Amino acid sequence: MKKRICSALLTILLAMLIVLPVSAGEGEHPPRLVDGAGLLSASQESELEDKLDEISTRQACDVVIVTVDSLDGKTAMAYADDYYDYNGYGFGSERDGILLLVSMESRDWWISTCGYGITAFTDAGMEYIADQFLSDLSDGKYKKAFEKFADLCDDFITEANNGEPYDVGHMPKGKLPLYWIVVDLVIGLFISYCIASNKKSKLRSVVSKYNAADYVRPGSLVLTANWDQMVNRLVTTRVIPRERESSGGSSTHTSSSGSTHGGTGGKF
Amino acid sequence: MSDLRQYKCPACGGAMEFDSTIQKMKCPYCDTVMDVQEYQNMQDAVYQNNAGSAGSDQWQAMGGGAWQSGETDGMCIYTCESCGGEIIADVSTGATTCPFCGNRIVMTGQFSGDLRPDYIIPFKLDKNAAKKAYHRHLSGKKFMPAIFKKENHIDEIKGLYVPFWLFDADTEANIMYEAERLRTWRSGDTEYTEHEIYNVQRAGRIGFSYLPEDCSRKMDDTLMESIEPYNFAEAVPFSTAYLAGYMADRYDVAMEERMERAKQRIKRSTIDAFKNTVQGYHSVKDVNSSVSLYNVRYLYALYPVWILNTTWKGKKYTFAMNGQTGKMVGDLPFDKNAFNRFVITWGVGFGAIVYAIMWLFMLL
Repeated sequence: MKKRICSALLTILLAMLIVLPVSAGEGEHPPRLVDGAGLLSASQESELEDKLDEISTRQACDVVIVTVDSLDGKTAMAYADDYYDYNGYGFGSERDGILLLVSMESRDWWISTCGYGITAFTDAGMEYIADQFLSDLSDGKYKKAFEKFADLCDDFITEANNGEPYDVGHMPKGKLPLYWIVVDLVIGLFISYCIASNKKSKLRSVVSKYNAADYVRPGSLVLTANWDQMVNRLVTTRVIPRERESSGGSSTHTSSSGSTHGGTGGKF
Repeated sequence: MSDLRQYKCPACGGAMEFDSTIQKMKCPYCDTVMDVQEYQNMQDAVYQNNAGSAGSDQWQAMGGGAWQSGETDGMCIYTCESCGGEIIADVSTGATTCPFCGNRIVMTGQFSGDLRPDYIIPFKLDKNAAKKAYHRHLSGKKFMPAIFKKENHIDEIKGLYVPFWLFDADTEANIMYEAERLRTWRSGDTEYTEHEIYNVQRAGRIGFSYLPEDCSRKMDDTLMESIEPYNFAEAVPFSTAYLAGYMADRYDVAMEERMERAKQRIKRSTIDAFKNTVQGYHSVKDVNSSVSLYNVRYLYALYPVWILNTTWKGKKYTFAMNGQTGKMVGDLPFDKNAFNRFVITWGVGFGAIVYAIMWLFMLL
């Protein structure tokens, strides 16, 4: 009986150590990778954590990834903001940083930005980042998705440091996927086939005459009846879809702790 | 009158020819030049004087015991007046060259007693023009086997007067159309499209003149239609003198047989011409049309055609040039390998260009 209580206590203690590493020490930075949902293996975890630490310290802007099993009844936005605020993430007085929350409960994801993070990651920018890693996240390739997220954050912060953060009309240049080689080859072959067929058709010149247009007696066309009468008129309408114009920039909200956050999210 | 008529030069006795460049009779031996009409009048006088001595019918069909019945149908034997050589030819041949002495011969027997051509368009272009046109025709043809140009030799090049029926017709048409006019405008976020449906009627007449349909069974109909059009304004009343130096065929396809084709073409053109008067619509379709021909008349004429024959890899290729306008036609062999090579090399090239453009687009 005693043994069982002991082991139970130990488990709780261990769990607390994993979930709440914040309390470990005042001077220590909270871990930048908290895999509460257990999506990564131990080796993947340490590798990814090293990467996040390296980027964060180099850029002086926290890049944090948190996975949880449940949102504890909060919205993904509130959970991510609170997690960021109460665990003391962020560099400097503005508490610069970005946090990616993934909740397995109902497959939510949320990116929360704070301080300089709000400047570096505009709404359009976050949408772009999400587009890049969401497919991997949906497929369960968590390591790959998180690495993409980390690399993009690094890239975005660098761009912001250079004076102009990625935003509407100033998006990162994508790489041409390799399958375009095949697609372009097919397009090229199609073009050359059309040209070749046109040249081939010039080999044939013996064709029968369809009509007698060359032998119309000039001026012989006389019209005895010549009228056009409108019999029906109808008007159809179509609503022109208005193009959504985004002015760019970052929208913000205030979290429960009173700090300002930017962010975006959805389901995966 | 003799079947064979040679156009002897009044000066030297050599065979005269019709020269397409100067449009006159010319003796190739002594360069004597005479107007066609003037020459014809002189010739007629000479032949009338000889009428008594020359037999009225010197040709005979070989229908002897050795021949099976029907075998010699369509064949005739002529005797060359110049050398006495016997020429075997198709009955529809009107003019040819004697294979023994090279003299130009017109088989007048073919034209006498039968339907005499009403008009003739004399050759405007000579043999050299035909050769040039042939070489032009071959140049710049991408997928013709390169070796064809080098290897093939013109087996035969002949100036031939091809018999044509010329059809004249007036047509009366009454056609109903349904036409639609569209107008589009915008107001705010809405695009309005106005469809106006019209009933349109066109009725009237249109005339066609001198629509040619060849009436020689030896000539491919499609080939002859391909070298159209001919300009009838340059036609002259027929005279056998124009045939000198060229070959000529006599009609062997009845007018009725070719009239169907002429009617078809005239009807199509009538429909086209009337449709052209329905203007200002976005779409026009005819719902009801009636076209009838009347005043259908026909003429018999000889039109000039240069025919070039060549054989390549056992296959015969025929080219035809309009002897009046110089329009050259003739199907050429197709090199499938060259075609595939072109598609693949240029396809890869174009693909690379498209890919490069896309790269640039991504970088900018």
